Amino acid sequence: MEISRIRALRGPNLWTRRTAIEAIVTLSEGERPLAGMPGFEDRLRERFPELGFLRATHKSDTLTLAHALEVAAICLQAQAGCPVTFSRTAKTVQPGVFQIVVEYSEEAVGRLALQLAEQLCLAARADTPFDLQDALKQLRDLDEDERLGPSTGSIVEAAINRGIPCRRLTGGSLVQMGWGSKQRRIQAAEVDRTSAIAEAIAQDKALTKKLLRAAGVPVPEGRPVHSADDAWAAAQEIGLPVVVKPLDGNQGKGVTVNLRGEAEIRRAFEVAQGFRDDILVERYLPGGDYRLLVVGNKLVAAARREPPNVRGDGIHSVRELVQQVNADPRRGEGHATSLTKIRFDEIALSTLEKQGLHAESIPEKGRRIVLRNNANLSTGGTATDVTGDVHPEVAARAVEAAQMVGLDICGVDVVCDSVLRPLEEQGGGIVEVNAAPGLRMHLSPSFGKARDVGKAVIDHMFAPGENGRIPVVAVTGTNGKTTTVRLIAHLLHTSGLSVGMTNTDGVYVNAVQVDSGDCSGPRSARNILLNPTVDAAVFETARGGLLREGLAFDHADVAVVTNIGVGDHLGLNFITTVDDLAVLKRVIVRNVAKSGYAVLNAADPIVAAMATQCPGKVIFFAADPEHPVITSHKTQGGRVVYVHNGDVVAVEGTFETRLPLAGVPLTRNGTIGFQVENVMASAAAAWGLGLSWNAIRQGLASFQSDTGNAPGRFNVMDYQGATLIADYGHNPDAMQALVAAIENMPARHRKVVISGAGDRRDEDIREQTRILGAAFDEVILYQDTCQRGRADGEVVRLLREGLQDAPRTQVIDAIQGEFAAIDHALASLQPGDLCLVLIDQVEESLAYLQQRVAAAH
Amino acid sequence: MKHNEITFQRVTYLRGPNLWTYRPVLEAWVDIGDLEDYPSDKLDGFADRLIAWLPGLHEHRCSVGTAGGFVQRLQAGTWPAHILEHVTIELQNLVGMQTGFGKAREAGPRGIYKVAIRVREETVGRAALALARDVLMAAINDTPFDLGERLQPLRELADRRLLGPSTAAIVEAATDRGIPHLGLTEGNLVQLGYGTRQRRIWTAETEHTSAIAESISRDKDLTKTLLASCGVPVPEGRVVRSAADAWEAAEDIGLPVVVKPTDANHGRGVFADLKTRAEIEVAYAGALEEGSEVMVERFIQGVEHRMLVIGGKLVAANKGFTAEVVGDGQNNIRELIDLQINSDPRRGEEEHFPLETLLLDREPIALHELQRQGFTPESVPPAGQTVLILRHGNMAFDVTDDVHPDVAAAGVLAARVVGLDIAGIDLVTEDIGKPLGETRGAIVEVNAGPSLLMHLKPAIGKPRPAGQAIVEHLFPAGESGRIPVIGVLGRREPALLASLIARLLHLSGRHVGLACGTGLQLDQRVLDTRPNNHFDGGERLLINRAIDAAVIETSTRAILGQGLPYDRCQVAVLTDADEDASLAEFYVDSQERLFNVLRTQIDVVLKGGAAVLNACEPAVAEIAKLSDGEVMFYAMQADAAPLAEHLTEGGRAVFVRNGAIILATGSNEEPLARLSRFDLTSASATPAQTEAVLAAIAACWALDVPVDLIPAGIEHFEQELAAAARSIETKGA
Repeated sequence: MEISRIRALRGPNLWTRRTAIEAIVTLSEGERPLAGMPGFEDRLRERFPELGFLRATHKSDTLTLAHALEVAAICLQAQAGCPVTFSRTAKTVQPGVFQIVVEYSEEAVGRLALQLAEQLCLAARADTPFDLQDALKQLRDLDEDERLGPSTGSIVEAAINRGIPCRRLTGGSLVQMGWGSKQRRIQAAEVDRTSAIAEAIAQDKALTKKLLRAAGVPVPEGRPVHSADDAWAAAQEIGLPVVVKPLDGNQGKGVTVNLRGEAEIRRAFEVAQGFRDDILVERYLPGGDYRLLVVGNKLVAAARREPPNVRGDGIHSVRELVQQVNADPRRGEGHATSLTKIRFDEIALSTLEKQGLHAESIPEKGRRIVLRNNANLSTGGTATDVTGDVHPEVAARAVEAAQMVGLDICGVDVVCDSVLRPLEEQGGGIVEVNAAPGLRMHLSPSFGKARDVGKAVIDHMFAPGENGRIPVVAVTGTNGKTTTVRLIAHLLHTSGLSVGMTNTDGVYVNAVQVDSGDCSGPRSARNILLNPTVDAAVFETARGGLLREGLAFDHADVAVVTNIGVGDHLGLNFITTVDDLAVLKRVIVRNVAKSGYAVLNAADPIVAAMATQCPGKVIFFAADPEHPVITSHKTQGGRVVYVHNGDVVAVEGTFETRLPLAGVPLTRNGTIGFQVENVMASAAAAWGLGLSWNAIRQGLASFQSDTGNAPGRFNVMDYQGATLIADYGHNPDAMQALVAAIENMPARHRKVVISGAGDRRDEDIREQTRILGAAFDEVILYQDTCQRGRADGEVVRLLREGLQDAPRTQVIDAIQGEFAAIDHALASLQPGDLCLVLIDQVEESLAYLQQRVAAAH
Repeated sequence: MKHNEITFQRVTYLRGPNLWTYRPVLEAWVDIGDLEDYPSDKLDGFADRLIAWLPGLHEHRCSVGTAGGFVQRLQAGTWPAHILEHVTIELQNLVGMQTGFGKAREAGPRGIYKVAIRVREETVGRAALALARDVLMAAINDTPFDLGERLQPLRELADRRLLGPSTAAIVEAATDRGIPHLGLTEGNLVQLGYGTRQRRIWTAETEHTSAIAESISRDKDLTKTLLASCGVPVPEGRVVRSAADAWEAAEDIGLPVVVKPTDANHGRGVFADLKTRAEIEVAYAGALEEGSEVMVERFIQGVEHRMLVIGGKLVAANKGFTAEVVGDGQNNIRELIDLQINSDPRRGEEEHFPLETLLLDREPIALHELQRQGFTPESVPPAGQTVLILRHGNMAFDVTDDVHPDVAAAGVLAARVVGLDIAGIDLVTEDIGKPLGETRGAIVEVNAGPSLLMHLKPAIGKPRPAGQAIVEHLFPAGESGRIPVIGVLGRREPALLASLIARLLHLSGRHVGLACGTGLQLDQRVLDTRPNNHFDGGERLLINRAIDAAVIETSTRAILGQGLPYDRCQVAVLTDADEDASLAEFYVDSQERLFNVLRTQIDVVLKGGAAVLNACEPAVAEIAKLSDGEVMFYAMQADAAPLAEHLTEGGRAVFVRNGAIILATGSNEEPLARLSRFDLTSASATPAQTEAVLAAIAACWALDVPVDLIPAGIEHFEQELAAAARSIETKGA
């Protein structure tokens, strides 16, 4: 068994909407079928009893080692606590080569699970030991490291429940919520609008107290004192009882609490002076510790917190008492549970020492022994939900405290007897406010009801009905993608939106190129969705990125499939048939939002058939108004777009609007058939997004297919009275479309300059010239600079083969080099001739053509 | 003869507007003892000694009004209290606390003076005053005095305690816009505006500055990834784990490279233009010392620039310089730096110098540069040889006008991608006047809380109004940051008056804070029942972000001892000028001196505001002309002296005629209610209570509280008073 090409599919993909690891598994003869490995499954189950049922996707498939590997990888993750269920094994056309797909919730955990599953299978085959517990521990530990912490996790979960797309920006807790100009960011329980100054204020206790006091929030008032007399005077001003302590004292040294009498206070002053000169007298707040969580202007949760403690029984030592408490099965290790074992460590021992105890002391019955001075759940403290108990006045003070400091998400620490009564009545007060408070004590309190504080944060960030999304259009197909993408982007821009666009030429924001190269993959799309200046996005979604990584988004508002035809790039990546290609291309259709539209070419049966896969609605387009797919969809009240009497017509039920093609320069009065198709697809997409027809009309009128707009997409030039057309088409369907377009353009003599990309099937290369041979008088073949794996002269030979028995072609020349081929074509060009140049190096050749055209003027 | 020490009876910091000036001052009560008999011209050589120590006194204008005015007075003969005032101001100026205002007046008893000196920070002012006395006594008694030595601690104190230059620039810009400010800490955390309209700043951070954005900006690697995603040119590179990995990364990226810490500040540990494996490995170790992680990046050719982006706009841009020395064959590099670089008068250690002194010991990069060139700081380079000290020195040169719009747009986008409202963008390019695509320049860092100093005081080029830009960002045009502040002063039921105004304002829909002699209240909630008619009570309201109107009672004692808690107010009410024997301890013992105290309240009325004055009190009516805003009189009698003329001029007034309360605007009169309608104005009420109601009506009218609401509001208020009184009785029983 050999595992190769492991990929993480980070978005919706060919197999599933979920994230998954995909790998190629190559099996030797003996590893398939599984039945040929006697006892293997038993040995596997011996080592991993929780292994699920082994099954093949299709009943006819035989079970192989790849299937065992797949099921082991998913079950190991599930057993380690990851929420995953999907897995699959698929045969490829190559015997013994399988693709396995295993869902993951954390990529690193998924990858590790695959490794461990392999070890497990090998151990079962060789009958060697496999340490399952260790494997599960590795997975659990890695998962705990990788996955979002509980606070961030709860907010992300709430966002996803609201339909807000989320993306982690770092390995830490920084998360982007929503897209483009609608995006927000969070980092644990901080949001992007959380003020840095407010956080700094919260860390300055004296300033916080001053501000809270100004807001009328009860705080432990106090002042520095300089003598015992002054201490007593201060105590009387402040009101009894008081605390006397050194200013900035640490770890409670020199602190005396709950003082009521003059003598006590004077004594406490002397004690404190033993540690520092600056002594503070402060009001003593009696009672317990409460944490109130304020989000926006609301109190959303409250918990009573207790540091880890035990009660003496007069019999057992402190050590034993702690062991008794830790024996509670609800107490776990780490962060996963709502109760954690009390740590009996150095800090615990020194805390005991301050209470005059040590580990072996036997405290008297009923005495409460504290083992740590903080109430964090992770060190054994407890939190009890008291949200329902909070008196409105107490809640009001907490909200005022947060607002005074300026924190939108704030943990307010309150000391009082009970939150059932106003603080003022019981002498309680607010002792601290915390930015980025931990949410775990509210999400999973040790006792009492869990509170969905993540939802509160999301509701604070996103107004009702908002989901942080910007309109997203995904475009795929064999031909016309790039022009369609550009045209849709142009329509959106005309309607006043700032548009991000990706295609095979680059990344554009409002027609300004911000990245170059083939940008039709998910990385470029993610960059657009990250860009805060973008209001709407249009993505060309090519097969490469989709296969490599899946989609960059969970769903699109509109998915456009221009055509599949007879396909392109067949034979690569186990996509061998047009049907395979259709399965791949329909991924965007399957991931249309429920409220969205798939825009499908009704005239292409494979595309039209995708309609059943669309969770949203469908807009069909086709030039022919009588096409049965169009007429039946129209009859059912669906949206259709077609051509009638020189107009593009859009119909839905009784609604009808017309766009005269005379007003769409791209189509040259409707004469260029494939551009008409692109216009129909783009107008339908804009309709699906809810753009006004006015904006669509204006946009279609102002879109120019000059080279600046769409380099290599039917760029028409004039060369000394002859028509020169440059196009990047390089597959049979593109040839068909180009021929159809050119058929409508009158010409005395037609010639074409063509090369063939080496990475196509032989048949596809021949087919291109076979189509051209019926439409052109003269064909100039040239050899590409990059043969993509072909032997010298091989492509030209295939092209020549396609021209055998050509009905129209009279002259065939073969030239070495693209520029030389262009020169050769131009040399004999006469006014009234038409010359189609199928360019290969788009930018260079276009520049060269333009230079030649300019020189001729 | 030796003269006795001048003694201070008391030194008070008046934190708000006071009887001397609108701004905070230090008021010292000075007993000059026998020196009363020795004006300056009677002390041999005194003036010369003093001027020799403090030549800056030549610039002091004093009463003459031109530079040299004070020296003239000194030579003609003036008394030590007055000299003390000028010396204190001069000492403050010498340590960078620019002030000009001071006054000295006889307090009353012979030899006792009140000296007021404008100060920007209390402790610095007090220290300057104490030092001034010592200087003065030394000059008087002709004893030796090392002023330079004594000035040093004062200078250090001032550097520590005064607002930093960025904060000071913002505060100054706010003041120019009429936006008030108050310091929330001893540091640079400042509140601009009052109540709900306030905004906080902390140097060049605002309350809108996102904490997450700051943490992103501190993570250079993340910042770069985000910027690159959005198409902002950055130097490509990656984090490395070891010196060997650093070299590997450098080979991937292409030489030359930069090696630097991912999280360190101020260019520490940054090593540029590295071309060899050895250099890169040394730099890795150096960078690791300054940060937790190290990254290797493409070295961008060009000069470092800093762009300041505020609220989505480019406000300023500066260019760095390259520090070099030229050998003379005699001095070593350390000495050459002092001779050729630090000799520049613009260089110095304190913050106010535009350029920092270049000290090799705190520039590890410079040491590294020297090493690369084969030198140590002690090397003596041959005459004529240029030695590079620092590639990117202080960003001292303003280039704002040269920035290409595309470069500005990249800077603005970078700030937005990181999420900062105020950002300092570091970019390296050979020419900021050309698009980055052309120069292959790149943005290398985005900084939160950038220093403004380089833009405020560029060593070369035009200063840029960075402070104004921040104030505009926080307060759009027309926004003053103010909430209505209603100041109440007087001895006739001021707390009742203030409470009634607060109640009526609250009924009209505002969140009102009230600080008065009977306590402190937010809307209906009582926070404190102790007297709050002092500075702290008022300030407590103004820093409250929930309040959209503040009613603040002040006493004459508070004005004398602390100053007013607000800089200006919308409405000032003055009920009387009744004598107050208790003010004698402040030497306020005459009607004239009392008038000076009372006028403080009316002096601060805003232009669009109103002074509400008792027309029946001649001394109060007299103050009317000091109001910058409208004057609104109230009077128990319709024939009170100033009323007729006031109404003729179209003014507004509230008065009583035939048992009815009348609101009059010029000749137009609207009866509001009968006196008998309210307990507080009925026959059983005291005259002071009735006056208080009239004053409150006038104040609310000035504040545009709907007039219809007022009578019902007063009744409401009376019911609540009665209920409160009953509840106190019940508790007492």
